[in-house]
Amino acid sequence: MPANPQTPATGRTKTDWMGEAMQKRIARRYAAERRFKWMGLGAVALSSLFLAFLLVVMVGNGAKGFISTEATLTVDLPAATGSISPEQLTQPRLAATMASIDVRRIFDNAVQAQYGEDGARFFASTAWTALRDQLTENPNLVMSKTKVWLPTSSDIDRAAKDNSTPEAEADYATLRKAGEVRQTFNWRFLTGSDGTDPAQVGIWGALKGSLITMVVTLFLAFPVGVLAAVYLEEYASKNWLTDLIEVSINNLAAVPSIIFGLLGLAVFLQFFSMPRSAAIVGGLTLALMTMPVIVIAARNAIKAVPPSIREAAMGVGASPVQVVFHHVLPLAIPGIMTGTIIGMARALGETAPLLMIGMRAFTTTPPDGLTDPATVLPVQIFLWSDEVNRGFVEKTSAAIIVLLVFLLTMNAIAVYLRNRFETRW
Amino acid sequence: MTSTAILFLIAGLGLITWVFARARAGRFIQQGAASVHSLPSYHGWYAAMWAVVPAILFMLVWSTVAPALGSYAVLESPLAAQLPTDAFERAAILSEARSLSRNPDVKVFNDAARELAPLYADADRNYAMIGALAAFLLCFAGAAYAFTRIRPDFRARTQVERTVMLALLLASLIAILATLGIVASLIFETVRFFNLVSPFEFLFGLQWNPSDKVVDGQATGFGAVPLFWGTVFIGAIIAMLVAIPLGLMSAIYLTQYASANVRKWMKPILEILAGVPTVVYGYFAALTVAPALRSFAVAIGITDASSESALAAGLVMGVMIIPFVSSMADDSIAAVPGSMRDGSLAMGATKSETIKQVLIPAALPGVVGGVLLAVSRAIGETMIVVMAAGLAANLTANPFASVTTVTTQIVQLLTGDTDFNSPMTLAAFALGLTLFIVTLLLNIVALQIVKKYREAYD
Repeated sequence: MPANPQTPATGRTKTDWMGEAMQKRIARRYAAERRFKWMGLGAVALSSLFLAFLLVVMVGNGAKGFISTEATLTVDLPAATGSISPEQLTQPRLAATMASIDVRRIFDNAVQAQYGEDGARFFASTAWTALRDQLTENPNLVMSKTKVWLPTSSDIDRAAKDNSTPEAEADYATLRKAGEVRQTFNWRFLTGSDGTDPAQVGIWGALKGSLITMVVTLFLAFPVGVLAAVYLEEYASKNWLTDLIEVSINNLAAVPSIIFGLLGLAVFLQFFSMPRSAAIVGGLTLALMTMPVIVIAARNAIKAVPPSIREAAMGVGASPVQVVFHHVLPLAIPGIMTGTIIGMARALGETAPLLMIGMRAFTTTPPDGLTDPATVLPVQIFLWSDEVNRGFVEKTSAAIIVLLVFLLTMNAIAVYLRNRFETRW
Repeated sequence: MTSTAILFLIAGLGLITWVFARARAGRFIQQGAASVHSLPSYHGWYAAMWAVVPAILFMLVWSTVAPALGSYAVLESPLAAQLPTDAFERAAILSEARSLSRNPDVKVFNDAARELAPLYADADRNYAMIGALAAFLLCFAGAAYAFTRIRPDFRARTQVERTVMLALLLASLIAILATLGIVASLIFETVRFFNLVSPFEFLFGLQWNPSDKVVDGQATGFGAVPLFWGTVFIGAIIAMLVAIPLGLMSAIYLTQYASANVRKWMKPILEILAGVPTVVYGYFAALTVAPALRSFAVAIGITDASSESALAAGLVMGVMIIPFVSSMADDSIAAVPGSMRDGSLAMGATKSETIKQVLIPAALPGVVGGVLLAVSRAIGETMIVVMAAGLAANLTANPFASVTTVTTQIVQLLTGDTDFNSPMTLAAFALGLTLFIVTLLLNIVALQIVKKYREAYD
């Protein structure tokens, strides 16, 4: 259009940009622009606030799970045990001596002597085992009448932390006035296993189950995933078999995790009659789930290695297998490791497929092998969240903190590996 | 000797074979052979392969055959003559005897099993011994065979590389095997389920009230429509109402408005949301969100609000999906050619007008594909709904009421002892097959849309 202010042929007049109407319109458009920007910021803020809220709730509830309440008990061990010597409580005579003295009765008697007939309500039902453990750790205790700290019952524990039954609150107030109660770090939570008394449970059993399962998963999914990725990326010719493999892997990556649980139940447990609740079945199931993740990550990592590397290796006479295993794979390893760690982190947090194959065993001792009944950390969280006893709330949250710490560490390692070793060509 | 110990021994023998074969091949070069085809280490690998692979394959086969041989030996013994002739009863006694022979603390119900247990222990020990001996023999035979083939002109590298290629192919085939396993197991059990319940009743029935009772070969209470509705209501409606606006707006803000510094920090934070395990979300929904929503509902005058509401599960699931939607939208917007954006800005449109009227319409197919993928992920999600959505199969659109979903019911049906003849167990597989088909279709459609859209701009 020619720059002519008067275009009477079309009847148009020049827009008055400085006029009131136009200024208003521009103001309106700019306001819309600002609103839109604020909405975007709001969406980001809302999402991160939710994450912060979730973490705060979990840490707020869970921090108390790492604290246990203990009360004193005065035990006259020389009298109760018939003055055995500390040497009798050292190896190799320890087992024989422990069999000869009834720690449980000693504990019961001491509780009755100090806290009266129904004094047992102050202590956890398994508190006598804590006394036994202290005795084996420190044999010199038998030399004199001593004061030991033992875990209190769940009711008193909750009275110390928030609120409990009126009786427990009264008991706690009495103990506190006498200075016979204290709060310490709950080592038992990190070293113990599942139980019925929330004050006494620990996560080591579930954690060990998780670790065994993860080892099985890693040993199966990593080699298979990397080899499959190498095949698909470097050697596979374009034919129906390759297409079928690609479709299967992409499909497996998108299948809901619970379907893998059904597969494990029908194939591993029913068809191959493998043991129920065993870490090996859990590991197998999770390996099938993790393998596609590793394949996809490894393929991307292999694809990122520039063709010039392959051509150079070929040029100096390497065979196709040597090209890949001596040159391409070593360069792709950081990317593969990153993908593997992310896949393993996902497997570590997975619950549903493991519920299907019965990895919800109630075991008070950690699993010792691949076929022992075991549970894993996320399933333990699920089981505790179902408990009626209010004392399990803090334990569930504490277990969640432990799980999140593991996952965040794994992800941090993955990010570190990516930043440290990834080469950009 | 345990099989683990045998495996370690064979691996050790393989290592020794490798060292010796390599040394032997190395001597050719020292002696100045005219043309050695392969490097010494390839000869080593070749020999080690012959030592280890046949032995391990044999052990795998033996571990499946040996128990049957053991049972056969026990049945041949005079003690077994008194066993009941009924095949089912006999199998029960034999399996008890076997578990007793492995672990003396196991509780058994048949006294006959107690008598047979020592026989079993003997038979198993004998066959384990035979298996171990045969495995070692194979190991030595393989190593010896490979050793005799080591010559300067022997093409060890070709042989080893051929084996490597075979291993690569086998590893890739496992994916097909897993897919086949899933499809076969789901279909097999579903067909058995449809012998008890008609497919029509399952897909269109309105009553979900499963029980073990089978009357005239038909089970009742398996109408899954309330489950399908609950799944769609939570996963495709409520969760998406949260995830689409928040995810889309987050993606727009982070890619179009935020400074590089903000983006660098906020993106990983959003990604953490996707990395939190679902059991944590489920616990959070059940512990914090659901009671808060219930009190809110009561405060605004809804009296029949359930403490396990569809809204609580859907909200939390939506938050979990945000990073997923956000990253899909991010990719689609990034794929819109820069010239379209620049053209719009050059015409005087503001940034938000460009986004709303140019970028989003252009990226819409990609966004829709991403949303479909998100829906497929949401309806397959299990732990959040198991912990927060409840078990009552209500056919209601009230977000404060309790609804149940397909995945919740699968978990519910398979908790406890699973008897593969009960319609309840089989129903879980039918639900699983439905879920599998729906998620698969959603994924195929979504990927097609995304692919078409990418091609449009390439």
